[in-house]
Amino acid sequence: MARQEKKKDVVIVGLGWTGSIAGIELAQEGLDIVALERGHDQNTVPNFEYPQQIDELKYGVRLKMMQKPSQQTVTVRRNGGETALPYRQLGSFLPGNGVGGAGTHWNGLNWRPQEVELRLRSYVEETFGADIIPEGMNLGDYPVSYDELEPFFTQFEKVAGISGYAGNLNGEIREGGNPFEGWRSEDFPMPPMPTTYDSSKFRDAAAAMGYHPFPASAGIASTSYVNPYGMQMGPCNFCGFCERFGCYQYSKSSPQTTILGALKRYPNFEYRTQSEVLRVELAEDGQTATGVTYWDEAAQEEVFQPADIVILSSYQLNNVHLMLLSGLGEVYDPLTGEGTLGKNYAYQMNGGISMFFKDEEFNPFVGHGANGICIDDFSISQNDFGAEGFIGGSYWRSGTFNGQPIRNMPLPAGTPAWGAGWKQAIGETYGHAMSIGSHGSHMAYANNHLDLDPTYTDRHGRPLMRMTFNWQDNDLRMNQFMKSKMEPLAASMNPDSMRAGFKGPGAEYDVRPYQTTHNTGGHIMSENAREGAVNRYCQSWKAHNVFAMGAGNFVQNTQYNPTGLVGGLAYHTVNAIRTQYLSNPRPLV
Amino acid sequence: MTDLPGYPSRRNFLKASAAGVALSGLAAQAKAQETTPPVPLEDYDRAYLNADEWAFVMAATARLIPSEGDGPGAIETRVPVFIDLQLAGDYGSADDWYMEGPHVPDAEPARGWQTPLNPAEIYRKAIPVFNAWCEQTHGAAFAELEAETQDAALTALQDGDVALDPEIRDFFSILLANTKEGYFADPQYGGNHEMQSWVYIGFPGARAAYRAWPERHNEKYPLGPVSISGERA
Amino acid sequence: MKTFLRILAGLVIIGVVALLAFIFVPVQRTEPAQALAADWEPAEGQGEYVLDAADCVACHTSDDGERLAGGRAIASPMGTIWSTNITPDPETGIGEWSYADFRAAMVDGLEPDGTHLYPAMPYENYRLMSEEDIRALYDYLMTEVEPVSNEVQETELSFPFNLRFGIRAWNWLALTHGPGFTPADVPELQQRGQYLVEGPGHCAACHSPRSKFMSQDGVTADEENFLAGGVIDGWNAPALRGEGSDLAKWSVGEVAAYLATGRNAHSTANGEMGLVVEHSLQKLTDEDVLAMAAFLKGVDGDAVDLPESFAAAGPTSLEAAEADETGSATAEMLASADPDMPLGARLYMDNCIGCHFATGKGAPEMFPELQGNSMVVGSETMPLISVILNGVEVPSTAKRPMSLRMQGYGERLSDDEVAELVTWLRGAWGNDAPAVSPADVAKVREAGEAH
Repeated sequence: MARQEKKKDVVIVGLGWTGSIAGIELAQEGLDIVALERGHDQNTVPNFEYPQQIDELKYGVRLKMMQKPSQQTVTVRRNGGETALPYRQLGSFLPGNGVGGAGTHWNGLNWRPQEVELRLRSYVEETFGADIIPEGMNLGDYPVSYDELEPFFTQFEKVAGISGYAGNLNGEIREGGNPFEGWRSEDFPMPPMPTTYDSSKFRDAAAAMGYHPFPASAGIASTSYVNPYGMQMGPCNFCGFCERFGCYQYSKSSPQTTILGALKRYPNFEYRTQSEVLRVELAEDGQTATGVTYWDEAAQEEVFQPADIVILSSYQLNNVHLMLLSGLGEVYDPLTGEGTLGKNYAYQMNGGISMFFKDEEFNPFVGHGANGICIDDFSISQNDFGAEGFIGGSYWRSGTFNGQPIRNMPLPAGTPAWGAGWKQAIGETYGHAMSIGSHGSHMAYANNHLDLDPTYTDRHGRPLMRMTFNWQDNDLRMNQFMKSKMEPLAASMNPDSMRAGFKGPGAEYDVRPYQTTHNTGGHIMSENAREGAVNRYCQSWKAHNVFAMGAGNFVQNTQYNPTGLVGGLAYHTVNAIRTQYLSNPRPLV
Repeated sequence: MTDLPGYPSRRNFLKASAAGVALSGLAAQAKAQETTPPVPLEDYDRAYLNADEWAFVMAATARLIPSEGDGPGAIETRVPVFIDLQLAGDYGSADDWYMEGPHVPDAEPARGWQTPLNPAEIYRKAIPVFNAWCEQTHGAAFAELEAETQDAALTALQDGDVALDPEIRDFFSILLANTKEGYFADPQYGGNHEMQSWVYIGFPGARAAYRAWPERHNEKYPLGPVSISGERA
Repeated sequence: MKTFLRILAGLVIIGVVALLAFIFVPVQRTEPAQALAADWEPAEGQGEYVLDAADCVACHTSDDGERLAGGRAIASPMGTIWSTNITPDPETGIGEWSYADFRAAMVDGLEPDGTHLYPAMPYENYRLMSEEDIRALYDYLMTEVEPVSNEVQETELSFPFNLRFGIRAWNWLALTHGPGFTPADVPELQQRGQYLVEGPGHCAACHSPRSKFMSQDGVTADEENFLAGGVIDGWNAPALRGEGSDLAKWSVGEVAAYLATGRNAHSTANGEMGLVVEHSLQKLTDEDVLAMAAFLKGVDGDAVDLPESFAAAGPTSLEAAEADETGSATAEMLASADPDMPLGARLYMDNCIGCHFATGKGAPEMFPELQGNSMVVGSETMPLISVILNGVEVPSTAKRPMSLRMQGYGERLSDDEVAELVTWLRGAWGNDAPAVSPADVAKVREAGEAH
């Protein structure tokens, strides 16, 4: 018999970005709220403090800020014919752990989707015709438009403290910004970050080719900053320890720097750490949730936490897992297309080129995770899908992000992996290389989906979630297109040598090298209950008092880093709860 | 000049020190830091590896990052100590990983870590197998071979020419990764002694504060590294 | 000769009689100038507000104890004084006190039995408070605070400070003002600020110098040394007026932000002042904080420009300051990352530059300026050394809920290194303060995290 806690108005599952947003916005309504966090508590000091945080081995390589697979993981197969095997050691993606979640160890790249990305199916059909959509691609429209979300993107960017320069201010295209971005009702809350040498070379080369370079949109403070909650960020010092690290400088946008201090002052909010939610409990009629059952690590027992509203705000993979375990929808069947849970799992298609200049100094350790100059000239809205034979696009970026030598030691092609030749090469090359990255879209496919594994279980005896995922021709073609466009640009910069890394035709998913932690879909938003797991307010079609936050809502992945859309959707959802749901709890669609 | 495994290259040590001074100029400026010299590698009190394993790791890392040429080698930077301590710790025992069965160790490499063994167990099982292969192929255990032969043996191991059970097939890549980790990690983990690898490549270590630098384009950052413990070079 | 002896004997007798009278004749309580009407009642919340403004919690609550139940050790030059239980518990608190008893404590420093309180209780300042505020505070303590039974340790000072009657003489010297508040000839808002600063805020207790007799030298605004800076327990409580003071450089809004949030464009509050912000100042209304700031800015007769708001919620982007002329040489040397820099500068590069920057200007509301910082260049070096060794925290406040913490470097830096660094800081960017020695550092290290 599980212990039962006092009923709350709201239970929040996972205290990362979206859990913190839900917490503070609903705390303002005076609701009695508890957030349950699987991991530990953490604050800038002592958890991210200098100099202990500046430890590549511990955090960059041994991944001590991340979710431990021993605690929670998935199994992976590349197609329905394979037996899924556990993702035993972190590699391809790195879910976070602890208060603040992945919002503590991200790079700070904060993007809005392009307008057409939220209505991609309609755009493709209108512009190129439905017949270019490949067999097996679940191309969809989001059930919300860019215009509807714009105020919430703006709200999130003000809270998160984003540095940048608007390229489209209320429809006016501004020199030096991104001319292809969706319109912004206001300029960025902070000016853009300074430009490093590699970025400046890229900017000049891109401009010379007629492209439109602009500074990256950074969740990194370029100045001191005070956000609408009175929370603060300090100016970034280009320490070069962003991704995989907590920011010792209060400079990176995170729940810790932008929300939690304010949230913790609300007497009607509490949070419990080391509390891993095992399942959402449904009422007998299955129409609503009654609360959640969690594992109290300290007490070593299951606890039932009743609540009127359940907010699922754990990482995308864990949200989908919880929904599968709790019966919050039917499991997606790729053969029939029936069912919604686990549908449209998507990822990101990335590539890049390293360039070597033996006589130039790049100081790669002077950087930050969202550093750089970008171009969007090959973005989704700019590519001719009909002519090029793929649906998708990418943004390119060049900027030093870290000079940590264990992981970031690009070497010219042909360099031996060890021995005297390797040692000679690192001495000659370190500090004399720069790179350009392509960060590309990933469409949704019937074959890429999530369900429960038949064999492997977690420490609570629950089935692990099974990921069925492989690269698809459409996205690989997009990637090769980017390579063909990027190589001439890189060559125009006259490096001594260069080395491209783009997945090509036939590439299969390899779980070992880090690729990106932009796992999306699985509880996608939809116009109707047949096509997705949640409605336009991220409200479960199955149980109307369950709201699911995060990238699990993405119909297909965009070409950008997901945080901006995740944040915008979170504010859109809490706004609906505040203005529509609380006064009359019901399905909002 | 051939460096003997287990013995720091004097030539290289002098070179590294001279480079350190030239780079940082601190010898004249900063008061000498009081540091206790570490125990010589041959007297090192091992935490995990046995004597044969230690001899192998000493010899193998000395070839993976040799002392000859510019820059310090694995021996001067005490990489073997790093590896021993890592294997004795939670990395060696794979505490953070999902290690439940069933295991499919012969799965395609792209499927990731599928052996039932943890890193410490892989070293323990693989070293005798590789030494036996060296005996059979070259007439002596790895540590006893000439440097050139050692390089050839390691190449064979890297290329999959040494027959290893699937459970230990990734030994070379694990060893190489650990060697580079020990070379570049903060000195608090036992390797990168006196931050020599950082001085060599020009990485300022744990300084992590460069606000005056993003707009100093194409200008080499001149100041030497600092470690987490505050050691300067 | 005989006559002389007789006179002497007479004088001795008179002296003894006087002394006995001094010791045993009860002290008279000061009566209120104007008694309150019989049916006077405090406004809703007034008493608790006075409690906050007077920062009673700071002394009358121990670290792990119940609120207002006393038992905090207060270090004084005479020895440790233990704060009393001021909850309405009849046995161990003030449950049996009449209003007149309470008033005598606040105004005359007397317990109900006539025993003198040690002047760690700032009745020098509280006696300036209005009758209404003292009464509201009494009502609050008696009716809204839960009684807590907590027998507090007796204060036992060594001879001669254990002779409490000595305080009677001290009071003759110290209590030269009041009771009651005399507003200066300034606008009403500043008068309100003056009241808060002089009376409940008891700012002079730290920020005015002490006389030869350890009484506050400058309790009211008309006194020359009022808020001219003091030294308390090894801390410089900086001058709040006069040329060269921080306040002379700050705007009214910046002063108000500092009071309400413990941080502004230049500096952050820590140590004792951090506690004042945490327990007292952040709870005052915007108008009162502004009043205090306006009064302090105008105390030397300067014009007072009131801001429209202070410490407003964002979004607000605040650029970090560039180096100024005085600091530019240091700033350029640090920015060059020149390996030939002196050890103190190198230690700054390795430990401090991340947040305080080459400019020594830090960043607004986040990282304090080190150039000209009163703690960096103060006569007392313990606080700066302690911050470096042990770290420091600016508390979470309503308007700035981020708790800003700096980690300590005690494990990373030796005493020699801290001394090098501190000495360098005290001469960088135009700072001009004497060196510190490794022995100074060792002393602070031994004292541990007490500060």
